[in-house]
Amino acid sequence: MRRFRFGLTARIVAVLVVLGVAVFPLYWMLVTALSSNNDLFAEQPRLTPDIGRIGVFVEALAEGKAAGWLLNSLVIAVGTMVLSVGLGIPLGYALSRFSFWGKAALTVVLLFTQMLPEALMVVPLFALFRRFELLDSLTGLVLVNSAFVLPIVALILKGAIDGIPKELEEAARADGARPFTVLSRINVPLIAPSIAATAVIAFFHAWNEYVFAVTFIFSPDLQPASVGIANFIGELGTPIQTVMAVAFLFTLPAVAFYLLVQKYVVSGMTAGAVKG
Amino acid sequence: MTVLEQTGAPKTTRQPGARRRPSPLGSKWTPYLFLAPAALFILVFQAVPLVQEVYLSFTRTRLLNPTRSEWVGLENFNRIFGDPDFHRTLLITFVYVIACVVGAVGAGLVVALLLNKGFRGRGVARALVTIPWAAPGIAVALIASWMLNAQYGIVNRLLDAVGLGVPGGAILDSPRYALPAVLATTIWQLFPFTSVVLLSALQSVPQDLNEAATMDGAGRWATFHAVTWPVIKPTVGLLALLMTIWSLRRFELIWLMTKGGPVGATETLVIDLYSQAFDSKELGSAAAIGMVGVVISLIVITGSRLVARAVEKGDVR
Repeated sequence: MRRFRFGLTARIVAVLVVLGVAVFPLYWMLVTALSSNNDLFAEQPRLTPDIGRIGVFVEALAEGKAAGWLLNSLVIAVGTMVLSVGLGIPLGYALSRFSFWGKAALTVVLLFTQMLPEALMVVPLFALFRRFELLDSLTGLVLVNSAFVLPIVALILKGAIDGIPKELEEAARADGARPFTVLSRINVPLIAPSIAATAVIAFFHAWNEYVFAVTFIFSPDLQPASVGIANFIGELGTPIQTVMAVAFLFTLPAVAFYLLVQKYVVSGMTAGAVKG
Repeated sequence: MTVLEQTGAPKTTRQPGARRRPSPLGSKWTPYLFLAPAALFILVFQAVPLVQEVYLSFTRTRLLNPTRSEWVGLENFNRIFGDPDFHRTLLITFVYVIACVVGAVGAGLVVALLLNKGFRGRGVARALVTIPWAAPGIAVALIASWMLNAQYGIVNRLLDAVGLGVPGGAILDSPRYALPAVLATTIWQLFPFTSVVLLSALQSVPQDLNEAATMDGAGRWATFHAVTWPVIKPTVGLLALLMTIWSLRRFELIWLMTKGGPVGATETLVIDLYSQAFDSKELGSAAAIGMVGVVISLIVITGSRLVARAVEKGDVR
């Protein structure tokens, strides 16, 4: 009995420690954003956020370029989400339901692209972008981000479609529905949770992307938040509170969305990884 | 795939009910219609650039004048493999990858086992644990750099308070502590993924077997070894493979925290490749370094498949 009690307490403590480790850096971002200079550089730093200073978020958005950065990130992320899911649904469907020449090769290519480092592809893509005049444009980033996230989107959706009984489609086909109608009317509604999950993955893949953005964008006005915030790191002039406020605003939507759909994202990612 | 034979779509629809299938192209082409846009996309933005990169690795090409490249055969490879700095990069990459795999899978397993038992608030706990995984890499690099700030960083203040402080507090400027600091940050970001995946694997461990083992007087470790481990082993293997690939590719966190420094202490293959291309402006060497990374990934993947197959057959325990 006593041993059990001790075990329970130890377990609670362990869970709390894990949660503390997981949450603390984000919390610290908030505390830093909301600290006065005196608190930041005092012998004893302030450990709780000073809610009275909440205006720092408004200031960070109003004064700096942060609002523009976040808007650029939003455009890139929405574009990537639409394009990669739009191309990923038919690809996943083809991989799941048809046998065709080159299918094995295509699957290998999809898996292979998962291991290519973005940094390796920067140089050849830079050349390609120059030829197609896609440098220094948000469109270019949408295209390249979509290409990098498309394989995982397609593999996850393939896994989801694999799970739908074929009888449902057969009935519709027997009634004379075209393949595209079958996909959009039968499969898409049934895999809606997986589509939502891949949309979130695609959105935040582009939202977080840094290497291509920093290399392909030259105009300060077109910088996404990842590049803008990264430039803060080397800069000495910007107050750390502003830096943290912008970074917090950049992090919050990602975390909030993942918390909302994490169940689907995780099951989708494992299914995509395992069955891929 | 036997889908087509089963549905009979290509044959039966051709027969009496030709009117039933208005598609003028016939179903032989249907799969290609579905996959063509995506395949074209991947071809243009992944396959073609990759082939170009392979070609670059056999040339001497300067970033400033990329159209003028000279075929040099294996020279780039000979040079990087003869360079002691590159040996150090390989060693650091190796350490980084192994530590990420062991750290992320190990921490993930511990957390998964902790959260596997039912308790009030478990849903909230699970959600909170995923936060590091959801946080953007840029934000993670930024907050980690601030927390490790030599003078005002909370980590240094805590370490000082317990008497373990690094002299001067300059963890990220220390050749000795920079890599562990970057590793800790990487593992912090990776463990939520491994723990959530392992948590779902743990759900398929038969509870009655667990109870039976406990009834028979098996200790906690014995139960884990006999009941839990066999079920989650394939998942652990898969996660180890994923973590290997992900940490081999990982760029922004290291780049933004240390740029590979101090004196190359955190320079992994990808960091080396990027600085060769954009600091030294040697595209050929950069491409060659990239090829080494890709070949390592391929060896790891092929090796793990072979091991998995051998385990399935029962040749290896």
